[in-house]
Amino acid sequence: MIAAQTLAIARNTFREAVRDRVLYNLVAFAVILIASALLFGEISIGVEKTILINIGLSSISVFGLLIAIFLGIGLVHKEIDKRSLYSLLSKPIHRWQFVVGKFLGLNLTLLVNTLFMSMGLWGALYYLTRSFQPEDVYIWTAIYFILLELFLVTAVCLFFSCFSTPILSAIFTFLIYVVGSAASDVRDFGTLTKNPLLESLTTAIYYLLPNFSDFSVAGVVSHGLPVGSHLILLNTAYAVCYASMLVIAAVWIFSKRDLK
Amino acid sequence: MIPARTRRMAPTLGLLLAAWGASALVQMSVDREMARYRESPEILWISSGKVLRTLSLGHQSLLADVYWTRTVQYYGSRLRDHKTDFSLLGPLLDITVTLDPQLTVAYYFGSIFLSEKPPRGAGDPKHAIALLQHGIVANPDEWRLWHHLGFLYYWELRDYVRAAAAYQAGAKNPKARDWMKVMAAAITEKGGNLQTSLFLWSRIYDSSEDPTIRKNAAGHIDGIKAQIDMEAIEKRAQQFQVENGRWPASIAEMVSHGLLPGVPVDAAGFPYRLKPDGTAALHPASTVTLDYDHSPAPPRAPAP
Repeated sequence: MIAAQTLAIARNTFREAVRDRVLYNLVAFAVILIASALLFGEISIGVEKTILINIGLSSISVFGLLIAIFLGIGLVHKEIDKRSLYSLLSKPIHRWQFVVGKFLGLNLTLLVNTLFMSMGLWGALYYLTRSFQPEDVYIWTAIYFILLELFLVTAVCLFFSCFSTPILSAIFTFLIYVVGSAASDVRDFGTLTKNPLLESLTTAIYYLLPNFSDFSVAGVVSHGLPVGSHLILLNTAYAVCYASMLVIAAVWIFSKRDLK
Repeated sequence: MIPARTRRMAPTLGLLLAAWGASALVQMSVDREMARYRESPEILWISSGKVLRTLSLGHQSLLADVYWTRTVQYYGSRLRDHKTDFSLLGPLLDITVTLDPQLTVAYYFGSIFLSEKPPRGAGDPKHAIALLQHGIVANPDEWRLWHHLGFLYYWELRDYVRAAAAYQAGAKNPKARDWMKVMAAAITEKGGNLQTSLFLWSRIYDSSEDPTIRKNAAGHIDGIKAQIDMEAIEKRAQQFQVENGRWPASIAEMVSHGLLPGVPVDAAGFPYRLKPDGTAALHPASTVTLDYDHSPAPPRAPAP
């Protein structure tokens, strides 16, 4: 019963997102950008395929990030604004179900969008090479890692949207993404100072921030190299653990929030 | 009969076209005026690959592609404009491989054009060696990087001990071709000679898909082949001199004495010429260049 209710909220979130025209514009723009990679390859030497894969994967990642932020920031606020949340919570539904349902719905949207953009990448790749090589299958690993990254971004967005305005949520999420992408540099900076206090502080920040750089394997797969299964497992576990932490925090904040 | 609506629109269209034409003309003048302002020195605003890696927010491989494209464009434009200063080539390549250490094409390209002397390259073989060593560490399976390293020591630095060691080290890679071992032995035994040089440049030509590298290698191959041809002509001229007590007047005279089957031509299709002292030379109009004289010429008998 509880699971069915949560899934119904997720389904509705997905339906609502699919109706959003901005989403189609972003996906279309990403596919056009991927196709234009065929032209970029022409002005370089010997790396047409590498450039296509890198542009394709970066487009999927950047546009996925934009979609996650644009849709994620309104997850809670829009429901309060439209007052649909009140009618929903008047039913025998827990607040945590609402938050988790929203989170799952947005991830489903991102999954479908990523698949559409991936089709664009594979189409462009086929147009360029006229055949697929066995090592091309590793591109799926990079796409899977992008999904894990978006999974984390969604969790960050949801967390902020539970207590902040949409604009502030977008700014906070983007900043977390920027700092999280350079998390290892923050730690390295502390190590370089040789100051034990600063070193401990930067190490703590390193573990506190979501480490988005772990999911960046485009450079490996674009050269036809595989990504170890151990790393796939570890990254999956990391994304699940970290996103769970944020969703639990979001549920806790949302449960305490006075909605009157 | 022109419809009334079209007639009404004609002045507006005319004005639009006139304004567009005027703006295009003014733009041309602005372009001419701005040309001297646009000729700013080429600068790398961020020269550290590590900083760029951080700023790329996880998209470092895409940024590497951008820098690689910029490297190719930079080299091509310098070559096109006949400029001999390639000072940005090394830093651009360093940034590219720091962002994407697996971009092997950058090592191959860099090893050739960083080491080539101006006007073909930056004339910095030590930088090229450092780049290749970085590539070997990042790509231990790429045995061809050892080939390029050995070749640099052999061709640019004439350090035959290090060249042989590089070929030896590369030959240990299970994927390496058998000739890597042969090269190690040949260089150890003979040092530099034209046949070895020809073989190595041919391997570089065959193993590269990069048209710039292939064109450069083809130029060297043509030069070495011409040098081999000229040495053969000089040997025959020497034979003529021994038999007749004088140097031949021309290659045609050597052909008429049966010392050569015909007048040999170089890769550009021009016949070789014979100087009065019995040495061979390229035709003045030939496009083949002979700036690769790395092997000692065979001892020549003094003229009578």
